[in-house]
Amino acid sequence: MSRSLQHEVTLLELVDRVLNKGVVLSGDITLSVADVDLVYVGLRVLLSSVATLEEQAQLAAGGAQR
Amino acid sequence: MSAAPLPEDGTGWYLYGVVPSRGEAPHAAPVDPRGEVVTIAEGRLAAVASRVSLAEFDESALSERLADTEWLEQKIRAHEQVLETVLASSAVVPCRFCTVYRDEGELRRFLSEHGDTLADTLARFDGRVEIGVKAFVQPPSDSRAAQASSGRAYLEARREEQRRREELGAFQAALASELHEVLLAAADDGVALTLQSRDVSGRDQEMLFNGAYLVADSANFEQAVAGVARERDGVELELTGPWPPYNFVPDELGQA
Repeated sequence: MSRSLQHEVTLLELVDRVLNKGVVLSGDITLSVADVDLVYVGLRVLLSSVATLEEQAQLAAGGAQR
Repeated sequence: MSAAPLPEDGTGWYLYGVVPSRGEAPHAAPVDPRGEVVTIAEGRLAAVASRVSLAEFDESALSERLADTEWLEQKIRAHEQVLETVLASSAVVPCRFCTVYRDEGELRRFLSEHGDTLADTLARFDGRVEIGVKAFVQPPSDSRAAQASSGRAYLEARREEQRRREELGAFQAALASELHEVLLAAADDGVALTLQSRDVSGRDQEMLFNGAYLVADSANFEQAVAGVARERDGVELELTGPWPPYNFVPDELGQA
């Protein structure tokens, strides 16, 4: 896995924690369920675009060991 | 970009987490660079917080901000960085991203109202971190049914595949629970988390298990993980962390 994809995957790992876990029952202003969904939609787009870019780069490079 | 100072009003307190009141404020960059990370003590507890602009963090502004992945990533990483800096020297009960109070009084009220639970949780977290463990296995090989020459051969191949898949599923479920048991023995506590699909994990292998553990002795825990990996061929383990113990915040504080 390349660095940039690893980077995004780690971000997702982080997002799973900071968005869904921890002290949720606090704050005058907090994320709504819709907000959390919104974040995931954005991240999925980001992840899939990074993955696609990398596949294309691999193909362009002759597919290496594939 | 030289940021203007925070306005006199229109600010709130962004809460990162709760520490014992003897804890010092961490030297880390806040989510809003114009603020400063401080501790606000209330009895035995202290909030780790920084001032933020409500124009940026208020509910009405938030949904627009959240759609901006660059903003989001920057703020989420700042949130985590503050907590990891705290974690290096103190127990911390982490808060969810974007927990904001309009005024200090409300923040103090939260600390005193949940004082006992927060203090108990801090005692439980003292000297401990969360470690994530994911296990991966190679997915089963490609379908042979697709290459079948006749309808009958196709059906037989399909049936055979179905049987193998069921066997494999049972084997993997047993392996996952065995894994969890071994790791749990080397930790204070542990939870099984939802598996991630291949497009999310970014790997070719299939995720067999995803868990988080509350660990006092990281070296010992890592040894247990290495031992498990050695004993089981074809299973690859990936560790993440140390994290603030997000997954071990008690339900009383952690359920929306």
